[in-house]
Amino acid sequence: MKIALLVALALVPLGCKQTKKVQVQQTVEESPRVASAIKMGDPKVATQLVTGFYGIEGNAWRWAAKQFTVTLRPPFGASQRGGVLQLNLTVPAVVIDKLKNISLTASVDGSPLPPETYTAAGPYVYKRDVPGSLLGADSVKVDFQLDKAMPPNDQDKRELGVVVNSVSLEAK
Amino acid sequence: MTPRVKPLTLAWWILPSLLCIALHWLAFRAWFRADDFAWLGLTPHVHSFHDLLAALFEPRAQGTIRPWSERAFFMAGGTLFGLNALPYRIVIFATEFAALGLMAWIGRRLTGSPTAGFLAAIFWMVNSSSMEPLGWACVYNQVMCAFFLLLAFYFLLHYIDTGRRRYEVYQWIAFTLGFGALELNVVYPAIAAGYTLLCARKHFRRTLPLFAVSAIYAVVHSIAAPLPKTGDYAMHFDGSMFRTLGVLWTWTVGPTYRTTSLDLPAWVLPLAIGLLTVALLGLVALPSQTGIAPFFLLWFPVTIGPVLPLRDHVSEYYGYIPAIGLCWLGAWGVARAWNSGMAPRIAAVALSFVYLFLQTPHLLAATKWNYNLTVRTRNLVEGVAGAHELHPNQSILLYGMDAELFWNAMHDYPFRLLGIDNVYLAPGVEKNNASDPGWDGVQEFILPGPAVNRGLSQNELVVYDVRGPQLHNMTTAYAAMPRSNELPLRIDAGDPLIAGLLGPEWYKPDVDHRWMPKRATLRLAGPAVGGRNLHLQGNCTGEQLRPGDLQVTVSIEGTTLPAATIHNSSFDLEFPLPAAAVGKSELRIAIEVSRVYRPPQDTRDLGLAFGVIEIR
Repeated sequence: MKIALLVALALVPLGCKQTKKVQVQQTVEESPRVASAIKMGDPKVATQLVTGFYGIEGNAWRWAAKQFTVTLRPPFGASQRGGVLQLNLTVPAVVIDKLKNISLTASVDGSPLPPETYTAAGPYVYKRDVPGSLLGADSVKVDFQLDKAMPPNDQDKRELGVVVNSVSLEAK
Repeated sequence: MTPRVKPLTLAWWILPSLLCIALHWLAFRAWFRADDFAWLGLTPHVHSFHDLLAALFEPRAQGTIRPWSERAFFMAGGTLFGLNALPYRIVIFATEFAALGLMAWIGRRLTGSPTAGFLAAIFWMVNSSSMEPLGWACVYNQVMCAFFLLLAFYFLLHYIDTGRRRYEVYQWIAFTLGFGALELNVVYPAIAAGYTLLCARKHFRRTLPLFAVSAIYAVVHSIAAPLPKTGDYAMHFDGSMFRTLGVLWTWTVGPTYRTTSLDLPAWVLPLAIGLLTVALLGLVALPSQTGIAPFFLLWFPVTIGPVLPLRDHVSEYYGYIPAIGLCWLGAWGVARAWNSGMAPRIAAVALSFVYLFLQTPHLLAATKWNYNLTVRTRNLVEGVAGAHELHPNQSILLYGMDAELFWNAMHDYPFRLLGIDNVYLAPGVEKNNASDPGWDGVQEFILPGPAVNRGLSQNELVVYDVRGPQLHNMTTAYAAMPRSNELPLRIDAGDPLIAGLLGPEWYKPDVDHRWMPKRATLRLAGPAVGGRNLHLQGNCTGEQLRPGDLQVTVSIEGTTLPAATIHNSSFDLEFPLPAAAVGKSELRIAIEVSRVYRPPQDTRDLGLAFGVIEIR
């Protein structure tokens, strides 16, 4: 009995080597796919921001230029039922102070969607129905266009339009 | 000690332990499963000395209080080693080795035969009821309890042999500590009294005070944790106890569940169990000057007695400690027969082989089953940890789960130990072999169809197939599958993915709950049958209650139900559903509270925080 206890005590340090809570097993992953929704704070989806975006700020948003483009995956069922394009944006006070108002329009694979004009600073949702006929492909290109933007200046060399928080395509 | 004797003595002590680790090797290598995770989950809740005391001594899991064998064992292990199973196994097997040593020593002391002591340890270690105590960490309480019972009895024998008071004190210490291992320790006074009455009568009276301690423990325990009156753990003091006794006898003398991995005619097992039963009972009837055989037999009913009223929860490991007495009895019989001529010798050897033939194949098969189950559990838990590392901002939906894997690898929240909260089951999973009791509680883990659809379209969800040894990301394939969009009967309002089922009034979730303002709406499915209630679980602020109770009004499809009252900041309300709600695919539910509170530096009017909202 004493020997058994001694053996057990001698074995205890073997168990002490590993301090990590659990081993992590590798998973079998899919090849990277295009997302239907992009949160601007997520660096992993940056490949879907085609043009017109600047770096992540506050872990949550990005400045966009006068023209900006994303690619999105039409969600399941959107090609039959149609989808909804939704851009969550903020029009900063500095933009309204300088430009008075600003108009936003979008197009999905070249097909334009109705514009919207913002005359006051604040958060907005640009939300437009997209016909299912435009959402049959694996991914679609969505171009956004502002009618004006703040040009680069000495303090900031960037062309600044609006602040974008997220953009998504949802099935109806 | 001559050089020849020394290796024999060494072998006498060590061989049972070596054979134990050889036979139970897969148990030694097993990982965690099921209840293990519940006990491992205690540590994160300990932030103060008071928390520690509560974690160690508060009744949990069917009202059990096992501070050493469950609470301290898992809390210390979890803190020092996380989910590395090896140190736990070392402790479990070290305790078993100590118990085997004690058993052999006691067997030798009681029978006067080193062979009997040695064989008793071998017989016990081969008994298939030892599979779970050695292979499933949360059943360590059995091993520790056996150790304390044997240790206390060992000191009693030393006291009887030497007359030294200190051994009696040691007996008391071991006996008292044993209560921290398992409630079964309460029977020790009956063991001590039974032995002294049968074999050392002049010491009988000194065992009687032990009963007082057991009685006090029983009273205090029943006050702290009243016995459950319903459910699997309800105690039935009726004729079913005899049936349970019969079942557990056959599971102890023969293999647990009276099954074997061997392909045998149906009559073999009952016949073999019957032969061994006759032999064991026959040994008690043999003339003996010591009265030791009745004591060996007495050990069985004494140690199995406390579980006999558990009519609806007969576990395979219940025979583990009672088997000790029968193993002593059998080993004593073999040793005695060996010195009684050729015929008894042959009979004893034959019966020993019958016992080994009954126990060993089943033990090995059961150990392998347990090991494979822990491997599946480990693959899932570590696979989810890997998936979370790749997708830290997304919830994880598991597809292809079966009831056995769910019960062992998900039911007791192993992912929370890793700081991973948002792991769900794909809807419809419970319909796979729906009657399996392993699915008990599965609804809590299923992500409703609308939430799945929203999660996929918002890129907030990744889907993994769990059917193989390695998790496969199948998000795209799953997104393309036809899926149900049925509303659920239950939601966890704190879950970000169910936002689509809530009205626009709700605030964003706060960690694990979500506040509503004065009034908020949501959608659930109607129940399939009548007589169901809407249950609201949540909290309100103390400030809201300061002027008095709160009234909560619920309306369903425009019909206002009788209001309920909240007296305390934590509430669990129940609203009987109107008959019109039955069978509806969608119920629009509105909840309104009579008073809100706006905390300083908060722009929100806080009504109620939920929690689970469920129709059942």
